[in-house]
Amino acid sequence: MDILQVENVSKAYSSHLALDNVSLNVPAGEVYGLLGPNGAGKTTLIRIINHITAPDSGRVIFEGHQLTQADVEHIGYLPEERGLYKKMKVGEQAVFFARLKGLSKQDAVRELRKWFEKFDILSWWDKKVEELSKGMAQKVQFIVTVLHRPKLLIFDEPFSGFDPINAALLKEEILKLKDEGSTVIFSTHNMSSVEEICDNITLINKSRNILSGNVDEIRRQYFGNRYDITFGGDARTLMERLQPLAGDFSLLEPDAQGRQRLNFHLNDGASLRDAISAANESVVIAGLNESIASMNDIFIRAVKEDSGNQV
Amino acid sequence: MSKIGIVIEREYMERVKKKSFIITTIIMPVLMLALMVLPAIIMNFVDSSATTVSVIDNSKCILPGLKSSKSLTFLPATDATVDSALIRDGVDAVLVIPENILTANRASLKFYSNGPSSISTESDITGQINDIIESERLKTYNINNLDQILESVKSDVSLTTVRADKDSEESNSSAFSYGVGIAMTFVLYMFLLIYGQMVMTSIIEEKGNRVLEVVVSSVKPAQLMMGKIVGVALVAVTQILIWGVLLAVMSAYLLPALIPADAMADVAAVQSGHFDQVSDTSSIEIIQAVGMLGNVGHIISLIALMTVFLIFGFLLYSSIFAAVGSSVDNIQDASQLTSFAVFPIIFGLIFAMVAAADPMGSVAFWMSMFPLTSPMVMVARIPFGIPAWEIILSLVLLAAGFLAMVWLAGKIYRVGIFMYGKKPTIKELMRWVSYK
Repeated sequence: MDILQVENVSKAYSSHLALDNVSLNVPAGEVYGLLGPNGAGKTTLIRIINHITAPDSGRVIFEGHQLTQADVEHIGYLPEERGLYKKMKVGEQAVFFARLKGLSKQDAVRELRKWFEKFDILSWWDKKVEELSKGMAQKVQFIVTVLHRPKLLIFDEPFSGFDPINAALLKEEILKLKDEGSTVIFSTHNMSSVEEICDNITLINKSRNILSGNVDEIRRQYFGNRYDITFGGDARTLMERLQPLAGDFSLLEPDAQGRQRLNFHLNDGASLRDAISAANESVVIAGLNESIASMNDIFIRAVKEDSGNQV
Repeated sequence: MSKIGIVIEREYMERVKKKSFIITTIIMPVLMLALMVLPAIIMNFVDSSATTVSVIDNSKCILPGLKSSKSLTFLPATDATVDSALIRDGVDAVLVIPENILTANRASLKFYSNGPSSISTESDITGQINDIIESERLKTYNINNLDQILESVKSDVSLTTVRADKDSEESNSSAFSYGVGIAMTFVLYMFLLIYGQMVMTSIIEEKGNRVLEVVVSSVKPAQLMMGKIVGVALVAVTQILIWGVLLAVMSAYLLPALIPADAMADVAAVQSGHFDQVSDTSSIEIIQAVGMLGNVGHIISLIALMTVFLIFGFLLYSSIFAAVGSSVDNIQDASQLTSFAVFPIIFGLIFAMVAAADPMGSVAFWMSMFPLTSPMVMVARIPFGIPAWEIILSLVLLAAGFLAMVWLAGKIYRVGIFMYGKKPTIKELMRWVSYK
């Protein structure tokens, strides 16, 4: 079942179209990646999901019904630009945010103590936020986001500003929340973390949804029929020989032994066996394997193609 | 508790717990009292140095009539010229009286001073000389028993206004009403400006450190804005009420203790309308003022009305400040846009001055009905005692103005808080209002 459905949402500001007919479905209990270059419209979409701004057209369905203000109590949002009241004490502030999400004062204090103990920051309770370092404030902010056990969590670049140890701790907590039944929407530029923790993704470019689906499938399909060949000899000759069977060549970094590597796309209908024999006639083949694209490649390629289509 | 209640609580507690709030709330009334009382005390204790005036009397008839007082001593000049008289020890100034002073219609006196001369010294001298000339001229008519006649003719009246249209016959001093009206207008003016800007800077701060985005993911932007405005308004009311209580306590207990017993007897006499019992040492206006100040019920009703106008006026103005704060990134950018709030407040202050001078005039009436100026103008008129329907109508219009302004500000706020970078133009602000 989908916890969140975004249906044909558009939003325009005076100078530009922020979202152009975007649709996506977020399955419950998964980690969902929301990707896209800067200024693509991700933050606008997140704000619409958070009921902060209203779409010009289209609708947002949360747990089967149209999203209302009351639903925000079941959503936790960690914005990319973090912010806390600087002059307020850490504990008071966390209680304030928890109460805004519908917790009673007593529940808020009890839950907060648990989390503060877990993150080993109980001693900060009476400190003012301005006395904390940036990383410390980030921890507090993370706790504030997840404290009310929201059904849907939205993290916008959650790892930025964390050192590797704390980033790992954070990742662990996010996956734990997922195991406990929360759904996570995860907006980031960090593609390796997408590969690690996202089940599904949507890629937004220039206000439009240009790619949606399961991460593994996308990786397999999007760059399907591509191979890396490791060889010794003249690369130009190799490409000439392969020309009838394959295309879209790109020379990769040489491997550890200094042997050349070429990535190519096998033409539809061409057989890999023919390609291997053609290559074998021109160079010394040291190895050949199917290439699985990284999310990074997919991101760059999809955005480039989309931009190319539009020009 | 509703979410708006939680926001109000935070905004209120954050400010009330501040040391600066506690200090100003308690220190200010004491300071103001000190400002009022200190000059009198200083006057009593510090013997101001007397001015010695050397008089060159060319008419020969003025000098004998000049009376020296504590602050002013007259000496006959022993020197013939001004210059030599001025350099003599102990002489501060030289007064030259022309020969024709008794006969001329408009004679000019010359006053040469070594240092700056005070207005009171000058008016004292011209007053005395005018009296002498008048009595000298009267003498030339050869009337018998002139002094006795003059003494019996002398008069010293004072005006006390009694409102005939009121149930209780309370006596009013116009000067006192004027003073109270202006004082309350200034309090209102300060509160609107200081607390209004507090709302604005706090929004700019929230926008600047991006905490806003976290908060509006839990409450609606409009709720957050209203919560802030109401929270800050409650802080202002708290401060005013504490000051009101302190003032009432001072009027009830401190004032009688500070004022000498015979003066208090005068106050009682004036309050009961028996002016002839008043010893002529004190000015009736001052006695009336003290009488009204000592009327605790009157003070409390004035402060209560002022508080009501303060609340509604603040709600109106702080919505303008909130809209401005939401649409800019920093205080520097805000300065130009704040004129939308600051100019009407200043206009209100100016019209309040006009209204205090002529409380029943048409300018006063209409400006006390127009929502942007009404808080200050009405507060300046209220001490004079104006019809209840005018106050009620003014409040209703003010409330309507506030609702319209909050609606408009909410629209701008909702969009403005997410706009970073360029300072918006008025046209853009108006476009924001139409966003969905």
